[in-house]
Amino acid sequence: MSATTAYQRLSLEGERKSALDVARNRLMVAVLLFFAAFAVMVVRTIELGLSTPETKQVAERQIVIPPVKVARADILDRNGEVLATNLETSSLYANPSKVKNPAEVAARLVEVLPDLSLSEVEEKLSSERKFVWLKRKLSPREKWQVNALGVPALQFQREEERVYPHGRLAAHALGYVDVDGNGLGGVEYFFNDRLNDANRTDEPIRLALDIRVQYALTDELEAAMSAHRAIGAAGVVMDVNTGEVIALASLPDYDPNDIRGVANQQRFNRATQGVYELGSTFKTFTFAAALDQGIATLEDGYDATKPLHVARFTIRDDHPKARFMSLPEIFAYSSNIGTAQMALDLGAEKQQNFLRELGFLDPTNIELAEVGSPIYPATWRKSSTMTISYGHGIAVSPIQLVNGIAAMVNGGRLIPATLTHNDDNWRQGQQVISQNTSRKIRQLLRLAVTKGTGGRSEAVGYRVGGKTGTAEKAVAGGYDRKALISSFVGVFPMDDPQYVVFALLDEPRGTKETFGYRSGGWVAAPVVKNVILRSAPLLGVAPKREDEGLYQQVALMIEE
Amino acid sequence: MRRMITICAAVTALASGAAVLQLKLAVQEKAEAVEALAQQIHQDREAIRVLEAEWAFLTTPRSLQEKSIRFLALMPPSAEQVVTDITRIPFRPKGIEAGEDPGVLLPTKAQPEENKKHDKTDKDRKGQSL
Repeated sequence: MSATTAYQRLSLEGERKSALDVARNRLMVAVLLFFAAFAVMVVRTIELGLSTPETKQVAERQIVIPPVKVARADILDRNGEVLATNLETSSLYANPSKVKNPAEVAARLVEVLPDLSLSEVEEKLSSERKFVWLKRKLSPREKWQVNALGVPALQFQREEERVYPHGRLAAHALGYVDVDGNGLGGVEYFFNDRLNDANRTDEPIRLALDIRVQYALTDELEAAMSAHRAIGAAGVVMDVNTGEVIALASLPDYDPNDIRGVANQQRFNRATQGVYELGSTFKTFTFAAALDQGIATLEDGYDATKPLHVARFTIRDDHPKARFMSLPEIFAYSSNIGTAQMALDLGAEKQQNFLRELGFLDPTNIELAEVGSPIYPATWRKSSTMTISYGHGIAVSPIQLVNGIAAMVNGGRLIPATLTHNDDNWRQGQQVISQNTSRKIRQLLRLAVTKGTGGRSEAVGYRVGGKTGTAEKAVAGGYDRKALISSFVGVFPMDDPQYVVFALLDEPRGTKETFGYRSGGWVAAPVVKNVILRSAPLLGVAPKREDEGLYQQVALMIEE
Repeated sequence: MRRMITICAAVTALASGAAVLQLKLAVQEKAEAVEALAQQIHQDREAIRVLEAEWAFLTTPRSLQEKSIRFLALMPPSAEQVVTDITRIPFRPKGIEAGEDPGVLLPTKAQPEENKKHDKTDKDRKGQSL
């Protein structure tokens, strides 16, 4: 019994002991685990204490609005009106390998997109390729219709389209882009890299153009062009004090939104690319050179009784007075004979230097690739001096003429013409004639309107000054008497010149209203007048009663 | 006493836990709202681009002129119609009178006389205009 109990006790003790051991072992495991965990925490705490604090926040305090991404920057006018912008559109492509029945799909597709050719689409869809363009830049309506066909192989690619909301307006200044958005003409071409610069697509380019004035100019030119059945027209409005081009028109024009099938003749920019012999408007420069260099004064005069003969030319007057004329009379009545004699007194060299200084012998520096090179005689003969004095024998672009006229009236500062909105542009100007000469030129220009050939440009209240220009078109071996370039350059208001307005008509024909006349004073001057009447209130030029005293002295020298 | 503290601690722990959870959910909701708002602003900006282009298209001077000719009897202004001097505007109240807005009420007896006076000055001024 005792042995049994002893054994039992023994075994009980042995069991108890082993249970305690197990418990202790387990406890040790737990303790070690805790130690390990604490050790990790200690290490982590030390690490956090030593490392630099992280700036990451749980919630971002700065709210990020995803920017509107466009592939090409916008173009605005001087008032912030959109002239060119990129809008989202879709292009249709297909995966021909997924098309089971090309003929049927093609037939249904052509039904909704009638401008696609059936055979072409069918051929594209039957090809083995994985990707074919079917049509670029669909309208939202077309996209919806294609989706409604329910053909899974037809898919859309998001693309951007260049849109010109004003259509034809200012087309020649703006230019146009190809299907991939690269500029091909106008400022679109000139500033192509800047417009496509990925970092600056949210900064629009601001042009100097004012779209309202642009329309006034285009509309008036269109009206005159159809009234006189001219083959073309050009016009420029420029701020004389900054050289900014407020409006630039060339007709016939085109719609930059759709340049397919546009003839070269429409793309041709007559205002900057075309060079023309501009006729009597050039007398302004001959007078300025002669007055500025002291060759002649306003009190002088020249004999214009009979035509001049030089080499094989005969110089006649279009408005002959056949008498001795004072300088203001020569200008107002646009006497070629008088001007030619004055140019002889001035001399070929001085004349050439003056014209070079005004930039008439080099292409203009405006922000367009479409600029024409002036044409002038390689050897400057006596006859050249005489004809160039009244604008024959030298061909310049209208923008150059306008730029030169601006310098003549703004106090003698030649400021390079610019298409971009730039208030500081005047700083680049340089003095070409004295303030005093500029004042005299202003008087002469005003009197050419009140008393001379430019009477039909008189916009009541806006004190317009200007000069007519009529030139026969040069053809092979001489001049074509039937084809004229009729132009008028006007400046307003003459007591404080602000803007130059130029209008040119290419081969105008006379009408009943003009009694068959088609010279600058008859066809182009009214255009300038209407443009001034329409745009002066927009440009902030107030109508005012004229101070006659400004012109009285010179006016007395003009006899009817 | 000890039990009270334990219960208090437990209740506080539960309450603060619930509050933190609540806050977290609220913040999440706000963050989502902000995200949605930012997205909305982005879409609106894109829409504004389209609308600006459309506005330019619809208000291009050519179409405005066509509409003006069709619906309005307006003619281009002549120089005489442009008032450059603000004092030339007829019936323009001066000085202290400017503050009183007569509105749509019938004119009081004093006013016709005043109008006459303005008329006269206006006529005088017309002599000076263009």
